[in-house]
Amino acid sequence: MSNIIEIKKLRKVYGDGVELVALDDVDLTIEEGEVLAIVGPSGSGKSTLLNMIGLLDTPSGGEIWLKGQNITKASPKERARLRNKELGFIFQYHHLLPEFTAVENVMMPLLIAGMDKKEARHRAITLLEEVGLGDRLNNRPNQLSGGQNQRVAVARALAGHPSIVIGDEPTGNLDSKSSDMIYELLRKLNREMNQTFILVTHDMDMAEKTDRILRLVDGRIVCEMRREGDEFVSRDICRAD
Amino acid sequence: MLELFVAMKHIRTRKRQTALAMGAVGLAVAIIIVFRAVMNGSIEIFFDLIFELAPHALVLPKEGEEYIYLYKTLIEFIWTIPGVAAVSPTLSTTATLSFEDEVENVELTGGIPSEMNKVMSLDKYMIVGDFYAISSGRRVILGEGVMEKLDVKIGEDVVANFPDAKTMNLVVAGVFRTGIEEWDQGAYVSLETTQEFLGEGDVINYINIHLDDPYQGDAVAEEISARGYDADSWRTLFPEFEETLAFETFSNNLILALVLLIASFGIANVMNMLVLEKTREIGMLMAMGADGPSIRKVFVIESGILGLAGGTAGSLFGYIVSTYLHSLQYTITAPTAPQPIVIKFLVDPFDLIAFPLLALILSMIAGVYPAHKASKLDPVIALRG
Repeated sequence: MSNIIEIKKLRKVYGDGVELVALDDVDLTIEEGEVLAIVGPSGSGKSTLLNMIGLLDTPSGGEIWLKGQNITKASPKERARLRNKELGFIFQYHHLLPEFTAVENVMMPLLIAGMDKKEARHRAITLLEEVGLGDRLNNRPNQLSGGQNQRVAVARALAGHPSIVIGDEPTGNLDSKSSDMIYELLRKLNREMNQTFILVTHDMDMAEKTDRILRLVDGRIVCEMRREGDEFVSRDICRAD
Repeated sequence: MLELFVAMKHIRTRKRQTALAMGAVGLAVAIIIVFRAVMNGSIEIFFDLIFELAPHALVLPKEGEEYIYLYKTLIEFIWTIPGVAAVSPTLSTTATLSFEDEVENVELTGGIPSEMNKVMSLDKYMIVGDFYAISSGRRVILGEGVMEKLDVKIGEDVVANFPDAKTMNLVVAGVFRTGIEEWDQGAYVSLETTQEFLGEGDVINYINIHLDDPYQGDAVAEEISARGYDADSWRTLFPEFEETLAFETFSNNLILALVLLIASFGIANVMNMLVLEKTREIGMLMAMGADGPSIRKVFVIESGILGLAGGTAGSLFGYIVSTYLHSLQYTITAPTAPQPIVIKFLVDPFDLIAFPLLALILSMIAGVYPAHKASKLDPVIALRG
């Protein structure tokens, strides 16, 4: 498998006077088709790392390579294009556009990409059927439950055939039943389409279903565990924290 | 187009904000349409009055001469010019009118009554007596001002004299009032009467011309000037009419532009609130790959649509209101005006299109700042809300 993301000595420092190091020389390689969980306490830099990979934020130092291309210093326009083409986002809050119906929300990344409306609608309907919302196409977010909205958000994240799907606490707002359902959905899509999933989560149940778990503390990767069969095996010596 | 799709969705679903923004612009445009209609109406009333009473073109003697001698040939020529409606050869002079102990210097104007009436419509302004009474005999029609000063009554004789002129008695046959003070200080007689008074023979000192279209005055004056006479149109004779009007129109339009500007601030405000309210969604659109220019376009298009829709509705409303007010035939009476004036509301079709377009442009400009602010949002911060 080839590396889809390579991160070299990535740093992010916030603040003018008092500096806050959010990411401290992080090195990370992510393979295509991998399902990766990033865990760690609040303020450990999980979301920052995710925003870097998602091209929403820019690093203070180091490099990010996406599919063999150095995108550390890409222009805002190029980053927007890559977000549209290569990335799909699922957030803790679904962030659906409240005025738009489920199908219109799923169409949105496709329309941004310049796809014809009719074609986009067709693809959106297929996706919504896949996430089990074929009968909720024309409902607005306020007419759907939390779990249903998150499924719409999943469908939207997948609409543009992104190579990487980023989830920032994708199930953080859901009950365990809905959480399981969302995770199973992601896993199924991963198997079918070989998409890469990078998930930030507090939910260890979910993390333990992934292929690899990274633990971040104070902006550093302190532990990395890989699945081998049913077991997780630590690659490095994992510090207790 | 994505931007239009998003903008239209906002407009359709945020009904109250949409109504507010459209209402502000619509009301402003409606006010402008009605205001300009009444402006156009009063300009027309003003010009109707001017064109009724003032010469459209005036011919004076050749340079260095006191009178127009061969005026009959000249009049014949003038009649050959297309669009000429009336030609009034006139001999006018200053005369001292006296009645008992009262004495008053007036402009004594002599002309052919029928032509003179066509160029001045004096019969419309008669208070007492008949304008055509001056056609025969030594009769005079006095302006109300002269009448009051001399304290004379209808049927009584006034004495006209002037150095070098023949003294004559004139019977007061009628009184007129135009409401224009200068004109109400005048006196009118037949052409023969002034010719006899001055004793210079069959001469005149000016020709007052009326045209079917007063705006042809310059062209007609030019044609007559080519024959060596000193001819001018009303434009050159009374430049103050158009100057006053231009100034009035300018200052009114300035006020109207400000009204529209204020209304577009309403749109700016609505857009500003929208951007604040939509921060998270803007962040999500950015995460999905919408770039800054695209976000900016959403909000500029949205304010443009609100401005154009509001402006069009306002234009239509203004037209309906103007038409209704016009149909009421509402009249006002001015203390000096001889007849009540019917207020006219004349809508210029140009306004109906121009002001919605102006509203569109101003609204888009008003939307630029909030749109720019939206496009500059940091997606990470925006997503946090």
